[in-house]
Amino acid sequence: MRILLALLLLVSLSAQADQLDTIKKKGDLVCGVLGTDEPNSFVDPKTRTIIGYEVDLCKAIAKKIGVKLTIKQLAVAARIPELQQGRVDILAAALTHTKEREAVIDFSLTTFVTGQRVMVRKDGGITQLAQLAGKKVVTVRGGTQEPNIRRAVPTVDVVTFETAPQALVALQQRKAVAFVNDEVSLLDAYGKLGPAQKDFVLLDQSLSTEALALGLRKNEPALKKAVDDTLRELESSGEAERLFLYWYGPQTRLKYDKRHFRIESDKLPT
Amino acid sequence: MSIDLSIVLSGEFGQWLLRGFLLSIELTLVTLVLAFPLATFVALLRLSPWKPLQGLGFAYVEGIRNIPLLAHLMFWYFGATQLLPEGTRTWLYEHDAESICAVVALTLYTAAFMAEDIRSGIRSIPTAQFEAARALGFGYLRSMRLVVLPQAVRITVPPLISQTLSLWKNTSIATVIGTAELMYQAQRVETATFRGAETFAVTTVAYLAVSGVITLLGVLYQRRYPVRAA
Repeated sequence: MRILLALLLLVSLSAQADQLDTIKKKGDLVCGVLGTDEPNSFVDPKTRTIIGYEVDLCKAIAKKIGVKLTIKQLAVAARIPELQQGRVDILAAALTHTKEREAVIDFSLTTFVTGQRVMVRKDGGITQLAQLAGKKVVTVRGGTQEPNIRRAVPTVDVVTFETAPQALVALQQRKAVAFVNDEVSLLDAYGKLGPAQKDFVLLDQSLSTEALALGLRKNEPALKKAVDDTLRELESSGEAERLFLYWYGPQTRLKYDKRHFRIESDKLPT
Repeated sequence: MSIDLSIVLSGEFGQWLLRGFLLSIELTLVTLVLAFPLATFVALLRLSPWKPLQGLGFAYVEGIRNIPLLAHLMFWYFGATQLLPEGTRTWLYEHDAESICAVVALTLYTAAFMAEDIRSGIRSIPTAQFEAARALGFGYLRSMRLVVLPQAVRITVPPLISQTLSLWKNTSIATVIGTAELMYQAQRVETATFRGAETFAVTTVAYLAVSGVITLLGVLYQRRYPVRAA
């Protein structure tokens, strides 16, 4: 019994320690990323390391705090539990800022704004979201994709997979009529299809607008300030714009010609 | 955050978990019904006096048993389905392809293990019994069916129940191919509620409860039908 009490005390004490101090003490910032979500975080085929827009944000934060960076790859559904249990310090994992999630974690300034859209096969004859009623769609498990498509089309049949590439394969194999995901990920997947692009199309309608932000454990004001300050500096120095164009710009598969958002607010878009 | 089971048990979330639980049970039962005859067949192949058939049985058991179940599931869902003729494939995809592929993978996998248990059970019956049956004029199959198998069943059932227990737990791996069984629904509930501890506490109890029932059946069987000395 006494050991149990000691353990409980230990757990509650370690939960109370300021996370920024802990990070500085161990000299290491652990950043949780997806690693399967180009260009946010993905494995560079040349160096076999994980790189991307979100990885660069993590690098900037680690540099600002003055510690080294460790990248940890997570499944979509494991993001919030891993953060809550303290196995990662920051989530940079295409995490949508939602009201529901605000109850359990804190968010940094919005780092990206995207919509969720739907990819279909051209020969499936689907041109409108409403036509998905009663049909099978696939997406990735543990994100906002499933609730969003169910809200848009209540009678839709959703099957989810651990990673987005698996869901895309299921669409390619005609196991479903549509694949729901963040616009950026869909554009990237579309770009990778190569000659097969002619068989697929993205529906024009967006399911939602998603403000992506970094996820932080609740009530860690010092760490949140360090993260937000870093992001503000990236914005004011023009580095944020450069990173966006490097990963999303006209030279990339995604071909965004300009940035439609600024890194400035940590509030939910209204 | 305090533990509150009612959040994950009530309303919509409770429904999801219940649906997942029922599908897990269904997967187990359907697989069991299909795997048992297949396993018996494979065991007989391995015991057959004819070498090529023995080899076939051996190849099946070792080929299947030595590959992880996860790989089996991925193969049957993402790989094998692409080899089907178009008509069959379209039919499969219009139905619950995720559950059907899970049953195929689980059946082939479970049958490999069950076949070995059945073979051991049959081998434990002294050859003299089989030879006596042959001497009385019974053919191979009739000697098996009437003399050897009835005795072997008593020895074989306990390990088969233990394979059923593995099968019940193995259904959880089907979540990787999008089969909406208990583990899949649990992840859905966790995502929607952020109540991981509660969700997986309920899920654990559900797995444990059914495992307990299966184990109990094994104990009861052994009490009611103990192995007879040959």
